[in-house]
Amino acid sequence: MAQEITLTVNGATRTNQVEPRLLLADYLRSVLDLTGTHVGCDTSNCGACTVSLNGDAVKSCTVFAVQADGADVTTLEGLASDDGTLHPIQEGFWEKHGLQCGFCTPGMIMSSLDLLSKNPNPTEAEIREGLSGNLCRCTGYHNIVLAVQFAAEKMNSGS
Amino acid sequence: MTTFKTIGKSEPRRDLPEKLTGEAKYTADVQLPGMLFGKILRSPHPHARILSINVDAARNLPGVRAVVTPFDAPKGQVAPDMPILDTEARYVGDEVAAVAADDEDLAEAALSLIEVKYEQLPFVTDAVEAIKPDAPQTRPGGNLVGGKPLTLIRGSVEEGFAQADRIFEETYSTPAQAGAALEPRAAVASWDGDNLTVWKSTRGVHADQLALSLALDVPRGNIRVMGQNMGAGYGTKDETRLGAITAVLAQRAGRPVKIELTRQEEFVAGRHRHGTTTTVRMGVKNDGTVTAVHATTIMDTGAYLSSGPGVIRRAGQGALYLYRCANVQYDGYLTYTNTPSGGSYRALGAPQGHFALESLADTISEALGIDPLEFRLKNHVGLEGQPGERVTPANEVLDTQPVEGGVPFSSNGLRECLQRGSEAIDWGQPSERPESGNLRRGKGMGMFIYRGGAGGRSIARMRLESDGSLRLLTGLMDVGEGSLTVMPQIAAEELGVGYGQVLVTFGDSETTPEAPLTAGSTATFSTGTATKEAARQLKARIIEVVAPLLDTEPSNLQITDDGVEHIQYPERSVSFAQIAESVGEIEVEAAISPGSRDHVINSFGAHFAEVEVDTDTGQVRVLRYIAAHDSGRILNPKLAINQVEGGVSQMLGFTLSEQMLTDPRNGVTLNASFLEHKSPTVQDFPEMQVLFADVVDPVGPFGAKALGEPPSIGVAPAVANAIYNAIGVRIRDLPLTPDRVLNEIEAQRGDSQ
Repeated sequence: MAQEITLTVNGATRTNQVEPRLLLADYLRSVLDLTGTHVGCDTSNCGACTVSLNGDAVKSCTVFAVQADGADVTTLEGLASDDGTLHPIQEGFWEKHGLQCGFCTPGMIMSSLDLLSKNPNPTEAEIREGLSGNLCRCTGYHNIVLAVQFAAEKMNSGS
Repeated sequence: MTTFKTIGKSEPRRDLPEKLTGEAKYTADVQLPGMLFGKILRSPHPHARILSINVDAARNLPGVRAVVTPFDAPKGQVAPDMPILDTEARYVGDEVAAVAADDEDLAEAALSLIEVKYEQLPFVTDAVEAIKPDAPQTRPGGNLVGGKPLTLIRGSVEEGFAQADRIFEETYSTPAQAGAALEPRAAVASWDGDNLTVWKSTRGVHADQLALSLALDVPRGNIRVMGQNMGAGYGTKDETRLGAITAVLAQRAGRPVKIELTRQEEFVAGRHRHGTTTTVRMGVKNDGTVTAVHATTIMDTGAYLSSGPGVIRRAGQGALYLYRCANVQYDGYLTYTNTPSGGSYRALGAPQGHFALESLADTISEALGIDPLEFRLKNHVGLEGQPGERVTPANEVLDTQPVEGGVPFSSNGLRECLQRGSEAIDWGQPSERPESGNLRRGKGMGMFIYRGGAGGRSIARMRLESDGSLRLLTGLMDVGEGSLTVMPQIAAEELGVGYGQVLVTFGDSETTPEAPLTAGSTATFSTGTATKEAARQLKARIIEVVAPLLDTEPSNLQITDDGVEHIQYPERSVSFAQIAESVGEIEVEAAISPGSRDHVINSFGAHFAEVEVDTDTGQVRVLRYIAAHDSGRILNPKLAINQVEGGVSQMLGFTLSEQMLTDPRNGVTLNASFLEHKSPTVQDFPEMQVLFADVVDPVGPFGAKALGEPPSIGVAPAVANAIYNAIGVRIRDLPLTPDRVLNEIEAQRGDSQ
């Protein structure tokens, strides 16, 4: 039986009828066509599907869409300003070349957002701990850490 | 010294904006009106004949729109040893049938309604067992591919061993390693009458177009393959069966179909690095001079051949070419088993072969009392190539490396890599004493050679478009490595305009000209050379048509960022838009078969690692890593460094933790998940320094050579040698997991007592 859910996604209110078994990742990708959220494993191991749910990073492949009823969800598509200005984390990944194939990137950025919102001045070890649930097979991670450090500095100097 | 506008600069990746905002489209993101979802039924048996398949119940499930089985599939082959679907299943996970339905859950439900009658057949899951005479036969022709080993010889190893004072022999093994690209492969197929469009994970749209044409018996011109962004592949996404199955389902349903593999399917039915067992025998003089090298590799290609014949060849590359030696031999046994299929994976067989060779080199160094670095400095192959006589006719392009000697390399920076890398890690200085009594530190190294040569024929098109923009069109795929960025750098440099001014269109078999696979580290060399030539031609054409407009000779004109100007009177100029307006669009096309008749083109490098081993737990930590590479001129340093760091990280997984495990009792893959096939996380990455030798190759475009794969070759020997240096224990089987390290510590202590 489909259920009605209403939630805020990237600032816009969305109401849809969804099957209770529909995963949040599939809801975002298939129903809302927000394909910036990637699915790499279905088992919470790779982190590519990470989104922000009420300010916390969650792996959307293991959250049901109905669990997000009433919630505030942000995906990578919702991070830049309306005028296209990149978020400092996006800017960090740009400046430091924190990606190759880009498939892990949405999850990496959303996990970084969670990390920096809770710990604005992370040490390198804290960054690595904070991103340890996100796999990248291309870059060797080094530039991703640099990207988060860049973002932390920028966000702190801006506030 | 040559000054460049864009070559050698860390231009930002072309795909950054779309990949950072979520706009980038991957194959699974393709959505078409009326699209169905496909699912594949896979064999539960490692080897079985399919006697019958009853699909009635599945077909009758409401919402199921198409079914395909081996009994009704088109009869074409997707590879020489692989039809679209087969009546024989060859590994647990082999494709048996497929359905398309209105949604994924329905398709899944339909699979459970398909009844298959199997006759189970004898099977074998281990390559060493498979080549024994009484082994169960995986195929009528026997398990050994071609019925005999690939044998490559220079000189005579008998003579070489006769000259030796001492002979050393050791055997090493490496497991199957999943590529584990984060994007599971996917395909979408859509028919419009007789015309088929396929979107798929691919590293070569034209190769896929040809393969699909042969498999489906549809004229090549009726098939369009469109590459999307690739969630990487490292070589592993070069198979056609998924695309062919998707196309058959779409044809039968009369609607577009998408199939996305699950992560578990990707592990089992994707392609992986071949497991190997390699024995290396080396003869040396007491002063350390190498007199003979004989390597034998048994390689498990799994259920299908895929690119196995190329991979078995590459596994011998180190033994045949790395050390200066007149008497060498390589015997490669490529073997079918009833396990998932191996395939192309970053540097093909080179990491496996080098692990054995470069580990043995340390054993020899120690036995002779020579420092491992000195042993390599004394024996590494030089610019002049291997000793001996050239056999390949001089008019033949040396695109496959000749076994004979007498042919020089186009460039060789191996010695510089050895020297600079060893300095960077303070070679010869003992490691700092660790804090705890259970911890031991040590340093190790390994050097390597990699063909990564010229690549195949490539066509590049360059266009001055009607609005004055400049565009490069090539069928090349950027699989994450960055050719989407490097190709416009090459084009812009040759044209004489800024990097940002060259627009690019990639990877569409209909709108872009043919390019070879993004494979074998050849993209920069092959398509880069074609791009450079196309840009040269476009520049000449533009200047030629502008000369009359500016009432002067072409030799007085030059290209600038804005258009064309008179060299002496820059005020006499015309913009690209004005040129296009005056003479219309200008298009040129360059087709090249890259390579050299006079040289062997190889990349080189040396890796150095410092590790810490916990002798209580067997845990190995890599503390410091130096990767020194000769890949010719580096066209984009940031991208190049990233390639090296990523390659090393991947192969730290190969060295320390990753392996695909098959249950020998039933052929089941035991660890088809990221949780159990353990890849390095961000917490496992060591402090790392990447060095590039100051080499400009005389053949490669702007002096560049291969880079994508070489970073993965030196990691296992460097780390294994460092572990030996730390604890005096030589471990000959990868991965070097804590339990294996502990067991070896116990066993080898026992030996010495």
